[in-house]
Amino acid sequence: MNVQDAPLIGQVLESGADDRVLDGLLLSGPIVIALIVLAGRNLLTEGIAVTYLLVFVGYVAYLGLQRT
Amino acid sequence: MNGTKATLGRDIGRMLEALAGLIVVTAVVALVWGEFYVVPALAVSAAIPFGVGYALTTLFADAEDPGKLHGMMVAASGWFAVALFGSLPFLLVAWTAELDPALLSVPSSARTTTLAAFTEPLNAFFESMSGFTGTGLTMTDNEEVLPRTLQWWRSFIEWIGGVGVIVLTTAILARPGSGSLTLYESEARSEKIHPSIVSTVRTIWWIFVLFTFVSITLLWLVGMPIWGAINHGMTGLATGGFSITDNSIATYDSVAIDFALLPIMTLGSIAFPVHFLILRGDLKNVYTDLQTRWVLGGFTLGSAFLWALVYFGGTYSSAFTALRYGLFQFVSAMSCTGFQTAVSSTNVALGNWTAAAQLTVAGGMVVGAAAGSTVGGIKLIRLATLIKGIQHRVSDVFYPTSAVRRLEIDGRRLDEREARREFEEAGIIAVLWVVFLTIAMFVLLLVLPMGEYTLENVIFEVASTQGNVGLSSGITGPSMPDLGKVMFLFNMWIGRLEIIPVLVLLRAIFKRGGIYQ
Repeated sequence: MNVQDAPLIGQVLESGADDRVLDGLLLSGPIVIALIVLAGRNLLTEGIAVTYLLVFVGYVAYLGLQRT
Repeated sequence: MNGTKATLGRDIGRMLEALAGLIVVTAVVALVWGEFYVVPALAVSAAIPFGVGYALTTLFADAEDPGKLHGMMVAASGWFAVALFGSLPFLLVAWTAELDPALLSVPSSARTTTLAAFTEPLNAFFESMSGFTGTGLTMTDNEEVLPRTLQWWRSFIEWIGGVGVIVLTTAILARPGSGSLTLYESEARSEKIHPSIVSTVRTIWWIFVLFTFVSITLLWLVGMPIWGAINHGMTGLATGGFSITDNSIATYDSVAIDFALLPIMTLGSIAFPVHFLILRGDLKNVYTDLQTRWVLGGFTLGSAFLWALVYFGGTYSSAFTALRYGLFQFVSAMSCTGFQTAVSSTNVALGNWTAAAQLTVAGGMVVGAAAGSTVGGIKLIRLATLIKGIQHRVSDVFYPTSAVRRLEIDGRRLDEREARREFEEAGIIAVLWVVFLTIAMFVLLLVLPMGEYTLENVIFEVASTQGNVGLSSGITGPSMPDLGKVMFLFNMWIGRLEIIPVLVLLRAIFKRGGIYQ
């Protein structure tokens, strides 16, 4: 079975900015939050949260620089 | 008229079915938090709209696609119905706690006066309408003591309402064709991201969900507990403003949280099509799109002016404290979020601010931010149209009558006919906005105890209600007179739908009932 055929994932990949990195951020968002809920505040979860935000901001900036 | 009824019935039925789904999702939250006593109330709350919705969609399955008139009536009546049925979780959970059936073992901590306020159907309806319209005014005294399930339900309905009930229904129950476009436009939206309306609404949700995860992560990272981050991330991005704490954001008293919420509220103030372009790397839209430019310019100028008022007016002795509160409160007001950081000892928003500062904030609430985003208010594009239209008309005098002139708005060059139509539309909305603000002010002045509130308090509260903002000068609450609550219900409803659809619905009802001929 192809990933795109999975019910929710398929819809996410079909919608949006048609960009796999941003799709990946959207799909990994619930996992990051679930991890924070389960593991609480520690160095690992803070690191994951920082990475998540940096990838989002950095990637949008990168796309912008590529277009200019 | 039978065709109209069928179309209305079928589309409202779909919206109620979607609402039932939202309540089922909320039942999962109840199970996670171990609040099993609310589950029967939620089951009944979901079953009722589902039953009504299913009956309507089945009965009117063959109804025609909505035209422009139907679209407006569906939007107005659908939002009303969703807010009405969405009040059931508040009402039934409150009555569960009140009746305390032995079988459900309701914890004693759940039986609070705050929750008991929702045993009054008008209070429950008010809370639901405030949530779905993204207003954020509340009938609770202390949100902290509400069951987690109801805290979530308040945040969830604001989150859904921020994007729109019709947008949700279209995304879930995809129905390609002209009918979806008409409904979409009736919900105070016009811009399309893709040629297909179903793809457009799915992309809107894609953007909104991604930004929600980013917002929650950011708030948690700057120190907010995760349950607060989830709820405030959702209501902040939706520019709704419901909080799970008694003092709104002031509870945390954290500079980092205050400043982290600024970009979240700003994201909610920018139109989704612009977000879409920015996410594709088209960053120049931040300054080339007229509304986005005006949003950022409005936030900057308004905050600077407010900072000057509260700093030089002596409200705050430190320039940084004045900046922190002035900036936050202006962005919160103009983005129509309604989070509060500057509260007085009596928990009143801007309680110790001068009248000039309060009216500056009220000005931001009336204008609002970008059309096509999650905000309320008149919207910047209408303000731009009015300002440029007036300039155009005045400068007309200096040109010969034979001169061919075009009005340029947001990169579009409008001919005389188009310019007149857009100017008229913006003028009508602005006038109606002021008319209903004035009516609500009169009603409030009539029903409130004499001398308890100043005129600026009343103007502030009414502007906050109709602009779907939620900042409160202390007037709104369970003890507010019923007539005031009913007036505010109406203001929130018309504010969210930009007045016209509600007037169209009321005209149709009155005409049919023989009251208006």
